[in-house]
Amino acid sequence: MSPPVVEARGVTRTFPMPAGPVVAVRDLSVTIATGEFVSICGPSGCGKSTLLHILGCVDTPSSGELLVDGRDVSTLGDAARSALRLSKIGFVFQRFFLLPMLTAAENVELPQAEAGVSRAERRSRTSALLDYVGLAHRTHHRPSQLSGGEAQRVAIARALANRPRLLLADEPTGELDQATGQQIVGLFERVHADGTTVVVVTHDPAIAARTPRMLSMRDGRIEDGASR
Amino acid sequence: MSAKVWAFALRSLARQPGRAILGILGVAAVGALLFDMLLLSRGLLVSFRALLDSAGFDVRVMAADAPALARPRIAEAETAAAAIRALPDVDEVASLRLGNAIVTGPDGGTHDIFFIGADAQTRRRPWILLEGRDLGASDTGGPPPLVVNRRLATTLRLRPGSELTLRGDCARGVASAAPPVRFRVAGFAAFPFDDPKAMTAAARLADFGRTCGLDEKSDADLFLVASREGRGPEAAVRAIRALRLDLHAFSNEEIVARFQQVGFSYFRQISAVLSTITLFFGFLLITVLLTVSVNQRFAEIAALRALGFTRRRVVLDVLAQAVLLVGAGGVLSLPLGLALARWLESILHAMPEIPAAMHFFAFEPRALATHALLLALTAVLAALYPMRLVSRLPIAATLRSEMVT
Repeated sequence: MSPPVVEARGVTRTFPMPAGPVVAVRDLSVTIATGEFVSICGPSGCGKSTLLHILGCVDTPSSGELLVDGRDVSTLGDAARSALRLSKIGFVFQRFFLLPMLTAAENVELPQAEAGVSRAERRSRTSALLDYVGLAHRTHHRPSQLSGGEAQRVAIARALANRPRLLLADEPTGELDQATGQQIVGLFERVHADGTTVVVVTHDPAIAARTPRMLSMRDGRIEDGASR
Repeated sequence: MSAKVWAFALRSLARQPGRAILGILGVAAVGALLFDMLLLSRGLLVSFRALLDSAGFDVRVMAADAPALARPRIAEAETAAAAIRALPDVDEVASLRLGNAIVTGPDGGTHDIFFIGADAQTRRRPWILLEGRDLGASDTGGPPPLVVNRRLATTLRLRPGSELTLRGDCARGVASAAPPVRFRVAGFAAFPFDDPKAMTAAARLADFGRTCGLDEKSDADLFLVASREGRGPEAAVRAIRALRLDLHAFSNEEIVARFQQVGFSYFRQISAVLSTITLFFGFLLITVLLTVSVNQRFAEIAALRALGFTRRRVVLDVLAQAVLLVGAGGVLSLPLGLALARWLESILHAMPEIPAAMHFFAFEPRALATHALLLALTAVLAALYPMRLVSRLPIAATLRSEMVT
């Protein structure tokens, strides 16, 4: 049996503030198994994005352990954590963060180039990914020439570019209208069905309802982590 | 840095073409000024050295280590010159007398000219013959020969073979009692130390003496000495100093070194101060541009970091942008600097008594290397602050604040 994709053990994240430290995530333990599709939901400020950042190795817990593929990553340096994110974790952001000077294809190629994928392989993989997200006809368009939904699809293709084991999405429909948001969730379902573990942070109960497992957070703790 | 870093930095700059062009133009202006300051810092030295070397004499002998106007003459010059000429380290010695003369133009007006008496026996001459014939050592009958510069020839409408009358004015402010002497123009010559407005003529020592009412074998103002090939000017200087303790011999190298310490040090200091100020402005310009650019891209950089870009990679991107801005501006600055130097040169040459062949801005390969090095250093220093901002960028906090805003 393969280890969980990511596992947090007794994780706490405290932010120093002028008025005193703020605890965003409080002694939280969670395991995301391979092949799961999980949503993290809860009210604004409950710590769901912070938890996602910790799971994605872009933030370090103040205390506790984080294991990715069974390996403790708490003590890894910047280069090792970056390499881990590059190869094993894909990120999708609410505001897409596509590079405006690059075309859709170039945005998808970017993490591949960073990972040292050959040019021919990059071209082929990018073409397949843009086709996968339904944007084969928008390959040479820049982000400014894409709609919000299209931009988010490119961002998802970019997140999948290095074939990560874990795809993390932080409010991926937050900038989109409801219909487009539903299409994006549909795309996540497809990504999940094709074998990638997906974790989505959302405050939209309708989206959370479409995931097999929902982690409901409040005040930095998981209130309910039931699978359905 | 790999090709992908450069390519990415180039694309990053290209996303704000207006800002990038302004930055490049700013660096080009700064670089042009820096280049000119570097050319100025050694320009006079380089061209002064070229002037000294131009006639082929590499040692100068004087009676005293004093400025020309206050310097006594070398007594019994012919004897002294013969003794120096006999030294094994010396190839040739030319005695020079320097003075002034008055000529009457075709319109009846008089002109003060610079008048040189030179040893006609030597192979080398302290001028470059441009047209006609040089001064001959022996008389060919008729008026004695004279070489004149172009300016004098044009003013007096002279041609080789023309005749003109000179009244000597050689005794430093004391008019000569000698009668005027009629000369025949043998040729036109370029005198290296002439300023653009100078009118200069040169005659044989004997004819100079006759014009100025001096004894033919009297004093000399200066000996120009050519060291023997393979011995070098230093050996000739040593030998002359050993032979005549009363005379002051200097190699061209020593004269240039002395001017470097005194005469030209002002230019070096001005150049150093202006170069420093210029570089500081270049540093500020690039730092501000990159800092603004980085500040605007914080969220994007944080996203790239989340996608797996290392801290080193995003820092190198900023450095590459600085190098590209400064590199492009630096390349543009060279033609701009040369054009500016030419213009400034024309302004400075309007000053009186600056030899036409003397250049304030002289190109040397080392100036180009120093320019490139200083600009590269500026690029790195200017990138330090924005690089620090990027390297310390907290990924999660930046993404979170982007979400909030």
